[in-house]
Amino acid sequence: MTYDNSAGDLLNLWQSQSSELIPMPVEKLRQASDMLTRRVYWRNLREYAAAALVVAAFGYCFFKFDAMLVRLGAGLTIAGALLMAFQLHRKGSAANRTAGMEAKSCLEFYRSALVRQRDLLSSVWKWYLLPFAPGMVLFLIGQLQFVLDQPAAHLHYGLIALVFGLTFAGCAGVFALVGTLNRRAAKDLQSQIDALDAARAEP
Amino acid sequence: MPGSRNQCDDLYREAIFAHGPALDRLARAYEADAEDRRDLLQEIQLSLWRSFAGFDERCSLRTWVYRVAHNAAASQILRSRRMKSKTLVSLEEIEEQGGIAARDNTAESIERGQILERLYAFIQCLNPLDRQVILLYLEGMDADSIGEVTGISSGYVATKIHRIKTILAERFRNGGSHDIR
Repeated sequence: MTYDNSAGDLLNLWQSQSSELIPMPVEKLRQASDMLTRRVYWRNLREYAAAALVVAAFGYCFFKFDAMLVRLGAGLTIAGALLMAFQLHRKGSAANRTAGMEAKSCLEFYRSALVRQRDLLSSVWKWYLLPFAPGMVLFLIGQLQFVLDQPAAHLHYGLIALVFGLTFAGCAGVFALVGTLNRRAAKDLQSQIDALDAARAEP
Repeated sequence: MPGSRNQCDDLYREAIFAHGPALDRLARAYEADAEDRRDLLQEIQLSLWRSFAGFDERCSLRTWVYRVAHNAAASQILRSRRMKSKTLVSLEEIEEQGGIAARDNTAESIERGQILERLYAFIQCLNPLDRQVILLYLEGMDADSIGEVTGISSGYVATKIHRIKTILAERFRNGGSHDIR
């Protein structure tokens, strides 16, 4: 069969395609809905479990080490992990974030999804990196102090400087990379939001 | 608002009966991969069924169905890593690019299957909003109805439809390619 090209023909061609849709029975939809709810529950639980793991590891350090700076660093890292878990809880799960929005106009729905992603990415410093930074810095300085207090430390100043220098630089690099990548992604999302706003403003 | 589970179930069945084939075409236009397409169709059906608890009849069933379906598909675009790495373009950008790339002019007319294949590939290059407009246009909706679903003014929809018609006429005349220059 051939096609001779006109707007009407194209519409007819489009609408006359055979459908492969197999409607989902309502009972199956109920099961899928329950499964989705369970999946969201387990995902939230995993996020909290990760925070609990950090708390446990640095809690161990807190009690294991006597050095004040190490303990202070461990304590602040624990506080940072708890703060991050609280922020995740406050921002809600991915599924809940779109609850009530599914029947909004497409532009409104898509814009709000982009805004949410942009805000999450641009504020990554505030809710993901900064809560950990002070604790990590103090923890590392405390470790450095602990190593320097050892009797034979003066024999290995070069090695100590190298190891801690690389560790500090590595941590700072990871923080900077995460921050930069997220800022770049947020900028890209902003340009998409601007395009939607321009479309919305068209008479 | 539908008070009971049964009313939601009935609305879902009515929606699938009336708009099922259009939802299938929508899923094909969003997902080239067969398995992803099946997942998207299931997600659209699940979103629809769940949404009917909040259906307040302030808009028609058709508008509601298309909104929910397109929003579910747009969410898929946002979630999909593969789609994130793909650059999506607007109708305006395509028009500025001058429409069509080099094409095979040997055939006077091309096969129906080829036309549809190219049409799907073309639609899959578009950003979500323009994708929604062209899909609703292909379903035979007028500018006012498309505006109601998408949230942009009917005047702007009419401008977009004009662009769509121009681009489609150019692209699908004598076997035009879907490639974007």
